[in-house]
Amino acid sequence: MSHLLDKSSAFRQGVVIFVYLAVLTALEYFVAVTFKAISILVVVAILKAALVMYYYMHIYKLNEEGGSDAHSYAYKTGTNRLGLWLFLLSDSFVFAGLMTARINLLGLTRPHLNQTLGLAVTAVLLISSFFMNRGETAMAHGDKKGFMTNTLVTFLLGLGFLLGVVAVEWPLAAEEGLTASSNAVGAVFYMMTGMHAFHVFTGLIFLIVVWNNARKNIYSSEQNWGVEAAAVYWHFVDLVWIFFYPALYLIGTAL
Amino acid sequence: MKKISPVVRGWLSFAIGFIVAYILGIGLVYLVNGSLAYSHLVSWIFATFAGAAAYSWGASGFSPLTKGLAWMNLGALVGFALGLVIDLIVQGSLNWVAPTASLFALLFGFTAFFLGVAGFNAVSKGLIWQISGTLLGAIFISIIRVVMGLEWSGPFLFTEPAWVLGGFLGVIFFLSGNGSVSDWFKWAKGIDTPEHHEESHAGWEKYLNISLDHKVIGIQYTVTALFLISVGGLFALVFRTELAASQLQFLTTDMKLFGQNGPQLYNTFMSLHGMIMIVSILLGMAGITNFVVPLLLGAQDMAFPRLNAFAFWISVPASVLLLMSLILGGFDTGWTGYPPLSVRAPMGIQMFFLGVFTAGWSSILGALNVIVTVMRMRSKGMTAFRMPIFVWAAIATSIIALTATQFIGLSFQLVMFQRLLGMGFFDPAKGGNPVLFQHLFWFYSHPAVYVFILPGLGVISELLPVFARKPLFGYRWIAMSSLAIALVGFLVWAHHMFTSGMNEYLRVPFMYSTLLVAIPTGVKFFSWVATLWKGKIWAPTPMLFVLGGIVVFLLGGLTGPPNATVSIDLHLHDTYFIVGHFHDTIFGGFVFPFFAALYYWFPKATGRRMNETLGKIHFWLMTPSFFILTFGMMRIGLLGMRRRIVDYDPALNFDATHLLLTVMGYLIAISVLVFIYNFFNSIKNGEKAEGNVWNSRSPEWQVPSPMPTHNYDQPFEVVGEPYDYGLPGSKYVEFSAPAKSRH
Repeated sequence: MSHLLDKSSAFRQGVVIFVYLAVLTALEYFVAVTFKAISILVVVAILKAALVMYYYMHIYKLNEEGGSDAHSYAYKTGTNRLGLWLFLLSDSFVFAGLMTARINLLGLTRPHLNQTLGLAVTAVLLISSFFMNRGETAMAHGDKKGFMTNTLVTFLLGLGFLLGVVAVEWPLAAEEGLTASSNAVGAVFYMMTGMHAFHVFTGLIFLIVVWNNARKNIYSSEQNWGVEAAAVYWHFVDLVWIFFYPALYLIGTAL
Repeated sequence: MKKISPVVRGWLSFAIGFIVAYILGIGLVYLVNGSLAYSHLVSWIFATFAGAAAYSWGASGFSPLTKGLAWMNLGALVGFALGLVIDLIVQGSLNWVAPTASLFALLFGFTAFFLGVAGFNAVSKGLIWQISGTLLGAIFISIIRVVMGLEWSGPFLFTEPAWVLGGFLGVIFFLSGNGSVSDWFKWAKGIDTPEHHEESHAGWEKYLNISLDHKVIGIQYTVTALFLISVGGLFALVFRTELAASQLQFLTTDMKLFGQNGPQLYNTFMSLHGMIMIVSILLGMAGITNFVVPLLLGAQDMAFPRLNAFAFWISVPASVLLLMSLILGGFDTGWTGYPPLSVRAPMGIQMFFLGVFTAGWSSILGALNVIVTVMRMRSKGMTAFRMPIFVWAAIATSIIALTATQFIGLSFQLVMFQRLLGMGFFDPAKGGNPVLFQHLFWFYSHPAVYVFILPGLGVISELLPVFARKPLFGYRWIAMSSLAIALVGFLVWAHHMFTSGMNEYLRVPFMYSTLLVAIPTGVKFFSWVATLWKGKIWAPTPMLFVLGGIVVFLLGGLTGPPNATVSIDLHLHDTYFIVGHFHDTIFGGFVFPFFAALYYWFPKATGRRMNETLGKIHFWLMTPSFFILTFGMMRIGLLGMRRRIVDYDPALNFDATHLLLTVMGYLIAISVLVFIYNFFNSIKNGEKAEGNVWNSRSPEWQVPSPMPTHNYDQPFEVVGEPYDYGLPGSKYVEFSAPAKSRH
């Protein structure tokens, strides 16, 4: 547990990282609407992804062996963590494939969408990631109540994102003539957002499960693999959106 | 009176059962139909299955197998009749070859077999749930369509969207119905489960039920793979027979089965042969890996036993979906499913896509499990370069399967959505790009061939030192060459697309990256030859298959670079030369090592040996036939024989060669029959072999066979190099207390 900061500095770290991410997202938007430098957008996205992977998903924990006793909770958590990350690696290939399709079919163009709405849903998802981090940190310090509150906020924000995409963005796009069957652009847009929304949906179910289990006092500050897994998965969903958002809303000229 | 041998009794009963059922079948068709049209087909199928049940009855009385087969006959008949009635009500006329009837016969027959064998078990429960889920999903969509004022019924009873959702729900129902996810549901509800389940069933019935033991799961995988190999091989025999001479023989345009005419049926068999064999290879190697890897590592089980069981069980509904595609219209795209052909293909392709997607998850999750197991559960002292070489191969394989498999799943999904919702990914009229599909598809499907062969090459490297009694030459190089093949394999996919119209500047880099694969492969050959050099070679059946695999794979390897060279590939593309090359690599890289592994580890699993004589017959029948088969394929391929076609011009003068190829195909099939008989017979009647049969240094052979339930009673520590055969005093593993050995 060498990486475990004390509670207040862990919270403070979450805030600082969130501010970085928010500033980078704003910068991204600014670059996209003013001078359209794709290379900067790519660099910013990679930077954001690195921040999320290190400070929110704690990728460095993969190095933790978990002691030498193969039957201890810590060792098993290490094994589970490796399994989860491999699953995420595998899953990211789905999104990489969709990204390949987007680059191949759309190139330097992008679907005609409402950029402000895009920024809004992105902000909602980013803020939800922040609260997820707070929830996880709270549980790692044995603060069950803090976990429950923060996870509830995460859930509501996640639901807001899901509805923002599926119930607001989709009908809006369809109204402007961009339907799934209209052309390849529509196909790519609905497939990318749809596949991501499906992952958000499963993430929400995951949040309900750990929230309910926390209510039953199943997790402690020592034994909370379920919470960690849900948090890492939730941040992964955010991570994917860090790349999908510029790919759909910012890069290239609108059709 | 002398006792008649069971085999004779069996065949007598078979003859009686067959003839009676055949006459009954013809009579039934005549009674209902008023003519003898299709009577032969119906009666043949009817009679074959009845004969099988009768054989089993004659040979073994009312054994579980007899009951299963009898139930299967009943189930298939009931399903067939039910399907006919439903079809009659919906379509208004009696159609003997209604796909609905065949589908119900297939599903009910399968289910009834497993019900008959052992009542309610994970398979029969799962299948019942799958059928219910499929129908429920299909009916649900149909109701929605009725509400929306759309046509709800189609030539296959339901419409395409209905079958797609039905097929998908069927898989989910199978898995939740048979209990393979129940522990996870408990966890989600906050209920803890014991780490190790006791087996719910003893004896052979545990193989039909959910078990978390990696050894049981390994055997479940292997037997499923053998079943699928038989099905895929049967399909090959069907179209090989049609190709025996030019012109259409029996797959003619006026025959009709499953709503398809002869040539269409040929296309379906040809396409399904490819994918069913691929799935069987994935399952077969998953079987060996599952059984062997934890034993080689000294682990109690895989890292995630429930995930392991899940990965196996998801492959069962996937196989059922693949078989359903045969009946629900078939498809004519080959296993590659390129659009735009796959967008226009009959509905079977949707079941095919779903089946492959589902089987893909089996492969992904299995691979994940293997990597985690190897990284976290090695016994003490087993550093990276003291791992058995097969483990290296399993790791290299799993890296590919874990990541690239998503691409085939995605590419098939995209076509599925294009068909269902009109999304224009691959439709140039909507700004889509058909070549994109090929890129996505081959990004998996080329590395996939390394998924097929790398474990096999690992088996060769693992077994060779045992039978040459010499250290494995260049251990580290072999370990690294597996990884190198896996990694370079990610960079070669477009060599399948030299003629596809992709950008021409891509051709040369992909040619060179492909040729690069020859280097790590060459490392392996060099090491194998050097290992054999001056060894004390002894050649029981497993070693025969190892040597056969090396030679056959060499042929496959040497015929590869010509295909990779752009200038030659433009001539060879889509010819029988490719078919010959591919079968060489897969037989050398999978089939031979797979058989070697089965003969080799069979005593570990059962405590008995497989019959040596039958094993040698198997080898000496299969190998020469196979050489003639692929050489013949390559010869006519060079002369211009196209692949995947139902007929060819007699003026090409290929008739004699094709006839020869067909005969060889049948000989291979017979040899595999010999193997299957040997396999199942030896489980019960094989010569006892409880000790270190092959005199191996590997830890699993230092304890008695069959392997104890929780593997090693004492943990072991690795104290030396794994393959120091013939070096006096060298030791690989040391058990913490003396292991019980009955040898």
